[in-house]
Amino acid sequence: MQLYHITINNLRRRKAKMFFVLLGLIIGIATIVSVYGVVETMKTEMTRQVSEFGVNVIITPDAGGLTFSYGGITLPEIMYDVEQLNTADVEAIDKLPSRNMIRVVAPKLLGVDMHGEHKVIIVGANIREEFLVKPWLKIIDDTQLQKVEVNINEGTEKSNETNEEINDKKMDFEAIDLTRQDLEELNLSNNQILIGSTVAATLKVTKGDVLTLSGQELEVYGVLSVSGTMEDQQIFMNLGAAQELLGRSDEITVIEMAVDYLSGSEEDLLSEINLALPNTRVTSLRQETLRRDEMLMRMVRFGIALSTLVLLVGMLVVGLTMSSSVRERTREIGVFRALGFRKSHIVKMIVMEGVSISIVGGFLGYFAGMFITGYAGPLLAGMEIQVPWRIDILFIAIGLAVVIGLLSSLIPAYQASKQDPVEALRFI
Amino acid sequence: MSEIMISLKDIRKTYKSMGDEVEALKSVTLDIKKGESVSVMGHSGSGKSTLLSIIGALNPPTSGIIEIDGIDIYKLSQEKRADFRREYLGFVFQQFQLIPYLTAHENVMLPLTTTKRSNKEKREMAEEVLCRVGLGNKIKRLPNQLSGGEQERVAIARAIVNEPPLILADEPTGSLDTKTGDEIMELFQKLNEEGLTVLMVTHNPDNTSYMGRTILMKDGQLSLDEEDFVSVYSNKKV
Repeated sequence: MQLYHITINNLRRRKAKMFFVLLGLIIGIATIVSVYGVVETMKTEMTRQVSEFGVNVIITPDAGGLTFSYGGITLPEIMYDVEQLNTADVEAIDKLPSRNMIRVVAPKLLGVDMHGEHKVIIVGANIREEFLVKPWLKIIDDTQLQKVEVNINEGTEKSNETNEEINDKKMDFEAIDLTRQDLEELNLSNNQILIGSTVAATLKVTKGDVLTLSGQELEVYGVLSVSGTMEDQQIFMNLGAAQELLGRSDEITVIEMAVDYLSGSEEDLLSEINLALPNTRVTSLRQETLRRDEMLMRMVRFGIALSTLVLLVGMLVVGLTMSSSVRERTREIGVFRALGFRKSHIVKMIVMEGVSISIVGGFLGYFAGMFITGYAGPLLAGMEIQVPWRIDILFIAIGLAVVIGLLSSLIPAYQASKQDPVEALRFI
Repeated sequence: MSEIMISLKDIRKTYKSMGDEVEALKSVTLDIKKGESVSVMGHSGSGKSTLLSIIGALNPPTSGIIEIDGIDIYKLSQEKRADFRREYLGFVFQQFQLIPYLTAHENVMLPLTTTKRSNKEKREMAEEVLCRVGLGNKIKRLPNQLSGGEQERVAIARAIVNEPPLILADEPTGSLDTKTGDEIMELFQKLNEEGLTVLMVTHNPDNTSYMGRTILMKDGQLSLDEEDFVSVYSNKKV
């Protein structure tokens, strides 16, 4: 027989009390694990979203704006003295001293045209750059298109099936990631277009169909998969072709850029742009990123505060329960001492009790925490999050529980070892 | 090697109670030889239990010297004194004081827990000693599954498992019926015949007949007054 036999037998006897300690530990560890899990996953998710949203600097024409207000009712801003951007501005960007910070420059021209009785939005752009800064742009592949075509045709025959329903069906299809894997193959001629999913459904066109815009016949190169963004309602074509089609030669509506802020100074780059393009308005989305970081940091701080509080409460629960358990065992400890147990043996037994419950508590708390993160995390975070099982967190949870168990059982253990055996045996 | 097992020289013990000093023991001097069996009698508050706790290396006296087998036990550190208790003393407490969540076998193994013996050796030693006290067939039982007499036997087995030279017993038959009490006293007598020194505190005058010598305590002192003996034997306060 060893000391741990006594510890284990004692734990088995005091099931209710030990369950209470265990519950306190499980709640504490589960809270810490779930708060950490949610914050960590949100951090990853937000970082991913920010990096996925490649555009972080937008250059638009500078223009005056007037806002009219009548007794609290404000009319939309009326723009005047609008000075358009042009291809020379794009060339000016290429000559900036901090050009190396700019990963992608995506100029585009926006315009409206008519197809039959439908108004359509034309976007003239350098298609590859556009796909680079908007990774969610994907082209539906041929087999999927055939299915979509069938669905669309069926939709035509069955008048009760709406365009929305057809759109929903399209959303089921997995799009090929041309943007990343096969960008080299993405070559549009000047009489080809890429068409957004909503426009394709509205106009009932698919790959290979021909659309007539401003009297010019344009072949549908591909249909974009549903992205839930404004691109679903747009028709993409080469910038030069769009300028010619819309009769706005050399004109550019907006220049979007993907900037790597880590490779240089944001302030330097923005001042260089302002200097090179004096009649433009430069908007940096860096501030948005910083705002998200700040929000995340607040959550992290809140998580740390909450975890610390829970940790302290957990220690208190374990400590008080262990302390009361030691008091109940006064006589028993007196007997142990009389039978030749050293003070250190008594300390070992009490600490072993605290630590063994803590290991179980840490283990169960980890799984409870992961369960909470998996199910309540998306609700708390307000976003869809995937929580990976992490072995390092399991060890941290157990380690933390052991530290709680150790710290909170040290005082009761010390109290027990200090008990005067004569006093203890006076109960006899 | 000394022939004296217990040597008390001018032992005094005072407690502080409610601000007052209470003298529990007043200059007790006593020698008990190896292999002797001694019963200590006296009324409640006479200092019997204090004397037992001092001899048991649990309660340092206020003054005086106490040696067990030639060792001045209160010169030892607290931890060494714990080791001394384990090696030299076997305690039999009033109301058995068995650990309720351990079986009879495990209770008997308790004094061996912190020794360097192997688990197998500890198990065998405990089993053998339980057989000696007639409980070889009940080793897996918990204390609440045993009768009072059986629990007392487990307590005695626990006291002798470590083969100590001295047994200290505090009212070992106090909660037993007469027949069982007699059986337990016969067991103590047998252990004494096997060479163990036995010191027993008892209220029961019948138990003294199993012991070689009886010491009487009155008001914290040893008494040799015949009247006191009569009083204690007849359980009357003098």
